[in-house]
Amino acid sequence: MKYKVQDSDEIVDGEILEKISQDEYRIKIKDSEHILKILNINSGVMEFVLDNQFHTVRYLDNQTSEMKFIVDGSELTVNMNSHLDKIVYQNSGGAEIGSAQLNLCSQIPGRVVSINAEEGTEVKKGDVVCVLESMKMQVSVKSHKDGLVKAIKIKEGNSVNKNDIVAEIE
Amino acid sequence: MIEKVLVANRGEIALRVMKTCKALGIKTVAVYSDEDRNSLHVKNATEAFHIGEAAPAKSYLNQEKILDVILSSGADAIHPGYGFLSENSDFAELCEKNKINFIGPSGKSMDLCGDKMRCKAAMLEAKVPTVPGSPGLVKDEDDAEKIANDIGYPVMLKSVYGGGGRGIRIVTNDKELREGFESVTGESIAAVGKSAIIVEKFLEKTRHIEYQFARDTHGNAVHIFERECSIQRRNQKLIEQTPSPIMDEETRARIGELVVNAAHAVGYTNLGTAEFLRADNGEFYFIEINARLQVEHPITEFVSGLDLVKLQLDIANGEPIPFKQSELKMNGYAIECRINAEDTFLDFAPSTGPVPTVTIPSGPGVRCDTYLYSGATVSPFYDSLMAKLITWGQTFDESRLRMLNALDDFYIQGVETSIPLYKTILNSEEYKNGQLSTDFLKRFEMIERLEKDLVQDRKDKQIPAIASALIHSEFYKSKIQSQNSVNQNWKNKMDNV
Repeated sequence: MKYKVQDSDEIVDGEILEKISQDEYRIKIKDSEHILKILNINSGVMEFVLDNQFHTVRYLDNQTSEMKFIVDGSELTVNMNSHLDKIVYQNSGGAEIGSAQLNLCSQIPGRVVSINAEEGTEVKKGDVVCVLESMKMQVSVKSHKDGLVKAIKIKEGNSVNKNDIVAEIE
Repeated sequence: MIEKVLVANRGEIALRVMKTCKALGIKTVAVYSDEDRNSLHVKNATEAFHIGEAAPAKSYLNQEKILDVILSSGADAIHPGYGFLSENSDFAELCEKNKINFIGPSGKSMDLCGDKMRCKAAMLEAKVPTVPGSPGLVKDEDDAEKIANDIGYPVMLKSVYGGGGRGIRIVTNDKELREGFESVTGESIAAVGKSAIIVEKFLEKTRHIEYQFARDTHGNAVHIFERECSIQRRNQKLIEQTPSPIMDEETRARIGELVVNAAHAVGYTNLGTAEFLRADNGEFYFIEINARLQVEHPITEFVSGLDLVKLQLDIANGEPIPFKQSELKMNGYAIECRINAEDTFLDFAPSTGPVPTVTIPSGPGVRCDTYLYSGATVSPFYDSLMAKLITWGQTFDESRLRMLNALDDFYIQGVETSIPLYKTILNSEEYKNGQLSTDFLKRFEMIERLEKDLVQDRKDKQIPAIASALIHSEFYKSKIQSQNSVNQNWKNKMDNV
């Protein structure tokens, strides 16, 4: 399989060569082999020792072929690419991912102070779609692209959570 | 003698105050809003009283309600912490009227400290230098021009009704001053319907240096050294340290004497902080007195060995300060980082929500004052300060390296924090060399450097990241093969798209 880590230009081969025991693997990344021993694994966290160094990894989004991890405190994305993974990706509802660019999501939680765009009108990238208030500060949510406002998903005075969809922009 | 203290605050400072009370055998009373029903300060107090809804105006700022709780709980003193009612002179007077010991200065003295004009006049009388400028409002352009030429350009024209960058002009000559005067007047009239302008010298590359001081009811006063708080954003402090890298013994004693004079001049009692701007030429100018216990008090505790909350209680009990100025010795170096729930890259926008897991750092010379625990929530209703991380070292570099380690160990799941920014700052040559100024972040492009550091950090983690992906896929695949019901779930999801 091919892997690419965020901010790195390299596309790197990675594979599991052998399952040595119940929790121990011999793996190959780029051209070098490593021994990985899993200490703990559950749906949110994995702890392992890689070449005798301890790592904690948290999964933020494990439903797609684009995986978000927090590796030892650093948030990063790993992309992987293979046929099998495409199948897994589609089965897991990953088809929605294409629409991720449609949705404008709030990056902070807060109360909706004002809505500055109307359904059916055009917006430019960077235009303010709504203003949120959190911790006594007002923060603008700006359009991520040029397009048509297909739907506004929030109401003035209501609260939104982080990653809630604010608007659909086509 | 104080036997039971109501702590009219929440979060880390409520816990901090209770810690000292407990150690002295003093009972504590907590107050809490709906939002704080699961907060630690409720659990740590001897008694806890619910005082209203989440919004501060309906709970922590509700003077009548808090007074009711004081009276019904039988508390004989109140500690206001910082923020909320801590510098509200009406509330201090309300407590005085009801014979409740308010741990802080009198309402009268607080009033004087809060009134910039009157405070400045009191300082001039006590020969404490303030930022050079007009003694009060300027009459017109001619008056402004005369003062500007007396104190020397560049000067600031400030509307007393301005704020947040509005109604302020920096001008460098007579022509700019006359133009600026007109536009500041216009802006002020447009905003509030009236105009009142003062002229002040504009100081460049200033440092924010403040002094902790204490004055008892017998008129004894001491200063407990300086703190440098120059690393700020939007006039809010981020990193504080003591001693200041530019301070020497002679200057410390000389400015310290001014601080003691300032405390006498406003008839202050209890602990306070005198804030100064230090210009690039070495001159110190008094700005204001903060009439409360400061967020950054722990660095002073580290280098002085004092418990400042205990000192507050002693003074509130009418006792004289139990040491002389000459007996205070500064020992070592301390740094504090304010761990805020905010996203550095979204212009420091707040980040709130549940914190399922937190790892609190510890070790030699490491102190962490926080309200966090695994399962806590960061509320959008209150301040973004989640924790204060403080480290001490025998040398500056020891305290700095301990801080870097502690920042590394501090894991807060669920919200964005200012921790990555602090790592970039503490690793920078400019910070190591003590090149501090209130525009430090902008001057040395710290946000841009943080971005580069994060990119490098992700590159460095290529191997463990890919290893994680390999193992994750391995487990994920076997999960798919074994769980038909889950597959059905996905199918439903697909149908809904």
